Amino acid sequence: MNMKKVLSALLVSAMAMSLTACGGSGGSDSAADASSSAASADGTTTITIWSPTDKEAVEAWWTEKLAEWNEAHPEIQVSREAIDRSDSYAYENKITTAVTSSDLPDIFYVDGPTISYYAANGIIVPMDDYFPQDELSDFVDSTVAQCTYDGKLYAISATESSVALYYNKDYLTECGVDVADIESRTLDNPLTWSELEEIAKKCTTDNYVGTHIIMDHGEGLPYALEPMFISNGKDFVSADGSEAEGYINSKECVETAEYLANLIANGYANIDPIQDEFLNGACATMLGGSWDVSILEASADFDWGVTYYPVSDTTKAAVSPCGDWSAAISKDCKNVDAAGQFLQWLINSENVATYAAAIAKPATRNSSYENAAMAEYADGPRALFVEQLQNTAVPRPRTPSYSVLSTKYAEAMTNIFSEAASSHTVDAAYIQSELDAVAAAFKEDYDMYYAN
Amino acid sequence: MSKTSSLTDRKRNERTAAYIFTVPAMFLLFAFLVVPILYTVYYSLFQYQIVRPDNITFIGLKNYLKLFTDENFWLALRNTVYFTVLVVPFQCVLALALAMLVSSRFRGVAIFRTMYFSPQLTSMVVISILWTVLYNSNPNTGLINSFLTSLGLEPINFLTNSKTAMNSIIFMSGWQGAGYQMMIFLAGLQGIPRDQYEAASVDGANKVQQFLYITLPGLKGTIKYVVMITMIQAMKLFTQPYVMTQGGPKNSTRTLVYYIYTQGFQQGNFGYACAVAAVFFVIVVIMSLSMKKLIAETN
Repeated sequence: MNMKKVLSALLVSAMAMSLTACGGSGGSDSAADASSSAASADGTTTITIWSPTDKEAVEAWWTEKLAEWNEAHPEIQVSREAIDRSDSYAYENKITTAVTSSDLPDIFYVDGPTISYYAANGIIVPMDDYFPQDELSDFVDSTVAQCTYDGKLYAISATESSVALYYNKDYLTECGVDVADIESRTLDNPLTWSELEEIAKKCTTDNYVGTHIIMDHGEGLPYALEPMFISNGKDFVSADGSEAEGYINSKECVETAEYLANLIANGYANIDPIQDEFLNGACATMLGGSWDVSILEASADFDWGVTYYPVSDTTKAAVSPCGDWSAAISKDCKNVDAAGQFLQWLINSENVATYAAAIAKPATRNSSYENAAMAEYADGPRALFVEQLQNTAVPRPRTPSYSVLSTKYAEAMTNIFSEAASSHTVDAAYIQSELDAVAAAFKEDYDMYYAN
Repeated sequence: MSKTSSLTDRKRNERTAAYIFTVPAMFLLFAFLVVPILYTVYYSLFQYQIVRPDNITFIGLKNYLKLFTDENFWLALRNTVYFTVLVVPFQCVLALALAMLVSSRFRGVAIFRTMYFSPQLTSMVVISILWTVLYNSNPNTGLINSFLTSLGLEPINFLTNSKTAMNSIIFMSGWQGAGYQMMIFLAGLQGIPRDQYEAASVDGANKVQQFLYITLPGLKGTIKYVVMITMIQAMKLFTQPYVMTQGGPKNSTRTLVYYIYTQGFQQGNFGYACAVAAVFFVIVVIMSLSMKKLIAETN
């Protein structure tokens, strides 16, 4: 009888174990097939690359380019593994698990702001030798800044991205907005926040919201919205990336968050916008990425335009988002020289041009725009994005605690927006408390792992 | 004499065979459950940034001490318990009701059984995405709000309001999970002899009385099992908040497992995440054992 009790107790705990344990084991299916570079007996080096899966044109570009390289360089054979990026953080989780099990490939693609985090933790190694200063001068400043940590170049990118304000010309005209005025704007006098709010107000009806400010509830929030904060006078963290207190929770940042929350509270923007809200004619304007141009060209059944990223009324300082996936060499790479040589070739002016054309993103190299593949960037909406990149782009904070900053900020903004959406008012004290929490979490992480 | 000894021999042989048969299962359990759990406990004693496995510091019980003052942990625990306390009765009663509906024999009953069971066959991720669209606060997109507004009601911010988000997840989770428990109840119902019902109706018992005095007692063992399994599953809620709300709004759907994930993977506090996981494990075991005891006492 007693034995039976003990046995059944054991059974229950085993059951609990099996059920609780299978919840957490999902992350460990990392690449068993990823082999780090190894020189085989005949002196051939193999290099493995991880990068996010992309659309067909990009996948085709990779196949073609790798075949080209492998044929010309029998001694350095390169292969690529496309990694699914099913949600905002899935790819990063895979890199993280690969680090813990020493399964990192030789080269992997990193999203811009994560570079500092990996660099500070020694996951990726400097590559200044392969991209000296005179070579880097061909790249837009924003990408060089984003790829540099502690004075060293840790990654290199072929493409950049930017965000600007798309507007539905047909619908704005219908609502009595002066479209000609918007079209006449230049980088010296972009729309201000109050002008954007005015437009959004005019255009909000039962079937339309005035604008669209939420790309997703993850990395999209700091990516698309940080320049608003900078434009209003304060960045998320100090310039050296060590301090968030007095920055993210400063008076200026609270003000910026209030402005954004106000758009949600008044119903001018949706808190959970549908997929392709602008394309589907459900919002009048949107803060959209440079990649949206080709989508709209292909599918929009209305006349649309793009104008510069809006600026704060108080400072009128033009700032714009940027950042894209960049190639970095991992600490587990056995033949850094081979990887560096390969990247030198992969990110040369011509390859950058064809890659940028395939992925429909602006190129990082100024010289690439002379290539025929980049012809459509000469004027129109694409030229506007390039103009922003060359003049007003500011990379996301370069701090080793970026992953904490990003997730905590995204959480805080989602909370702030939810509060605004359900109460239809904006509570400055609540915004302050949420942003204070971001600053506190940042400090805790920075002090624990990176201070001293 | 010789006969009995050959019998015990056979028994012994059978027992040995039984042990041999359990070896593969035991090995798997050991490799994929016991070892990871021991590792979890081990790492919970360290300060461990997940991308710095080469640089971990022993800090004793500090992670556990931090946990007791970490309001986010307590919030996650509260949310998890709230979910469990509501979803278990909801899901079990729903499952029992469905099982009784489809246990009777009529034409096409198999179609209904399949329909009620089908959410089980679909991945929780797919279902979560589907319900995210159904719950969308914009009546032009969200089917439920479209229905509400057509009745002249105000649309509800199901997933974007902290007061309704968890309840919305509870409802869809119960809907998704009930099919499985329904099948178990169905098997239990069919194990109750027909003649008991016949005898009861001869004695003049009405349907309610039949349910209370024949069906429920007959299902006692099944109910125990179903409640326990549902409870343990409910405690490890993760997919729905991960896909539908990312723990928000205002952390109202942040559960313990979700908290372990964000701490360990997104923020890299691996040692701390292990401490939370270890505590979580203990909580689930204690809950299961006390639940078992409670049920045993009521018998």
